Amino acid sequence: MSAVTDLLLTRYNYLAVVVLSGIGMYMMIENRNLVKKVIGMNVFQTAIFLFFITTAYVEGGAPAILESGGGGGGGPYVSPLPQVLILTAIVVGVSLTAVALALIVRIYAEYGTLDEEALREVTGE
Amino acid sequence: MSLTFLEAGLLGFVLVCGLTTALLKDVLSSIIAFAAYSLGMAMFWVILRAPDVALTEAAVGAGVMSLLLLLTIARTVRPSHEAFTESIRLRTAGVVGAFVLVLGTTIPSLPAIGSPSAPVIDYRVTEYYIANTYAQTGVKNAVTAVLAAYRGFDTLGEATVVFAAGIAVLVVLRKEGFV
Repeated sequence: MSAVTDLLLTRYNYLAVVVLSGIGMYMMIENRNLVKKVIGMNVFQTAIFLFFITTAYVEGGAPAILESGGGGGGGPYVSPLPQVLILTAIVVGVSLTAVALALIVRIYAEYGTLDEEALREVTGE
Repeated sequence: MSLTFLEAGLLGFVLVCGLTTALLKDVLSSIIAFAAYSLGMAMFWVILRAPDVALTEAAVGAGVMSLLLLLTIARTVRPSHEAFTESIRLRTAGVVGAFVLVLGTTIPSLPAIGSPSAPVIDYRVTEYYIANTYAQTGVKNAVTAVLAAYRGFDTLGEATVVFAAGIAVLVVLRKEGFV
């Protein structure tokens, strides 16, 4: 098996992480509509979530629901810690999106457009 | 773990939805593609044995997030375009391509997916939680126990962020209450 195929078959999630963060970054830079920029930010975030959840995974592991005492007998469990961090990150991400979208609503109320170039002209930059 | 058809299919679905989100010119279509993307991700969390994250992603990522985005374009504008897809600008694509390549060079040094000797799995923090959570907290779900007990201050900080975001939204929209 060649090195590239091996990489594809054992680390495919990480490849998806890299590609998705690229998509998110492209949306944030290139899309002129502010709402689409916010969507791009969320795509980038989800890529990072995928990275964390993938590191927590173990082959043949069960979700970390411990029947009694854990450890012995239960077999391998996935790591609970990255999952907890991501649960927090999802909620914080939504808060961030809510504030960003509220700002977008205000920008539209003030300037009547959500187009980046048009806004630049209106504000005189 | 080796790549199964289910995982490959879901990953493909997620990637295609992400790409569609980026390329569709119309904002509403983009939001719908993003909701599908979030749903695909939620299903992928189940495969990666993260049911709590899957529930949160389905409720918050695919549900609340789409609702917020739809409310925003309902209150602002959905520009109509001649073109169906975004035109790709090569300069930006080059910058993003360089970023992806640099990030991609780190992939070979990462442990294989699901390897029992991976640092996260093999580390004493994980082992401690698995071994002691039930005895110390009496909660069977280790994720809940870590969230609410071991990392309780973290969750308090999260609640503070949500509260601050709520206040910020009210201030920005110049509302005096949630009515």
